[in-house]
Amino acid sequence: MNIFSFRSGNTALHCLDVRYKAVLVCMVSLALLKSGFAGCFVCFLVLFWLVYATGISFVHLVGQLKWFIVLLAVMFAVRSLTVPGTPAFGFWGIVVTREGMTQGALVSMRFFLVMMTGLLFSATTRPADLKSAAQWFLKPVPFVPEKRVAIMISLVLRFLPLILTQGRQVSDAVNARCGNLNKNPVRRIRYLVLPLLKKTFLAADSLCLAMDARCYSEDRTDPVFTTSGKEMVFLMSGLCLCLVMVFPAHLLSQITFWLELQFLVDPPINLLYSLKYNKYSLLL
Amino acid sequence: MPQAYPLRPLVYTALFVALISVGAFIAIPIGPVPIVLQNMFVLLAGLILGPARGLACVAVYLLVGLAGLPVFAGGTSGIGKLFGPTGGYLLGYLPAVLVTGVISRTLGEKPSSDILAMIAGSVIVYAAGVPWLKIAFSLSWGKAVAAGMVPFLLGDILKIAAGVVIAGKIRPFVKI
Repeated sequence: MNIFSFRSGNTALHCLDVRYKAVLVCMVSLALLKSGFAGCFVCFLVLFWLVYATGISFVHLVGQLKWFIVLLAVMFAVRSLTVPGTPAFGFWGIVVTREGMTQGALVSMRFFLVMMTGLLFSATTRPADLKSAAQWFLKPVPFVPEKRVAIMISLVLRFLPLILTQGRQVSDAVNARCGNLNKNPVRRIRYLVLPLLKKTFLAADSLCLAMDARCYSEDRTDPVFTTSGKEMVFLMSGLCLCLVMVFPAHLLSQITFWLELQFLVDPPINLLYSLKYNKYSLLL
Repeated sequence: MPQAYPLRPLVYTALFVALISVGAFIAIPIGPVPIVLQNMFVLLAGLILGPARGLACVAVYLLVGLAGLPVFAGGTSGIGKLFGPTGGYLLGYLPAVLVTGVISRTLGEKPSSDILAMIAGSVIVYAAGVPWLKIAFSLSWGKAVAAGMVPFLLGDILKIAAGVVIAGKIRPFVKI
């Protein structure tokens, strides 16, 4: 399994209509932009549960993301050292600030959650379904050849694992010839990228020939979407999750205030009265 | 006889989308913006595919990321990333690839014009990314330039140098 691969399964997330899934990814991704620590924690719990329910091993997931986790750690360290503020501790003349640590932790957490969302999406969505969803979303957009774009997306999904595999092979070959000891960065980029591009262009040529031989064209049968019947439930749950992520403190204070108003100040019978006549709104 | 479907340009454009996506995985995060090989492949798309196909290539790349596949820098995706603090760089790829392609096609496919085209493309990426970063983080111009441009200039010079050599070597293979 790599970061782009699909894992077959029969879970609710696998069976969910891909169009709703794409909308949910967009919603969560936008909500993460505005969420704080509490919101990120709620999102993490939900995503962790979804990963568990989907049958993906969390250890395997962390293994796939290990280099990204290292990058996140570097990002956290850089923020801790560069953002000015109250010193938390220092060593060898280097000062780590509280504000830097807070900002670094929040940014790293958001990055990690966006990665988890994307990985969950790619692990539970067939490439063909993704292509169909792109075609469906682009259909009403004028001047965009949606069928051509859909073919390109399916080709991209075909090329991604190929490039990753060939990149690893080229890197191994360069290292076997002590290319990794070369100090010139331009040469190092060239030695890695040039053979990779040559190999991938040759593979693309072979693919062109194969597609030509099969008279491939963009006039193909339109996609048919399969729905599980739980789409609206997922959409509403996603909306609630986003609201909780963006306004956790605000929502909590509103709910607490409302409950206090009903149970502590007024007798419980007034709760029924207020619910019936909408006396107290949650958005006071 | 019906005209043959133009498969080769389509396949090459898709190949560059995949290369840009893989290039985004090699990321060194310094400050709020990570250094990635992604922009070298974006500018190479302009040089090799030309302005129109290069533009289509970047548009499809952004669409794939928008749809949820983890193809943006550091394996991220989604609309939040595209319109987040570093979204200006991503959206800046659209005019950058267009201008790179136009300069390369107008001045001819030679190293000097490739260098000029890649420099112009890089400038456009920063022209879109730095003001966006400034607004997103409410930074001063000095801080925005220091965080979102200065740390990456050396890397960009190396990427332009490597990109010009690679473009010269790759063009004979590409028969569009």
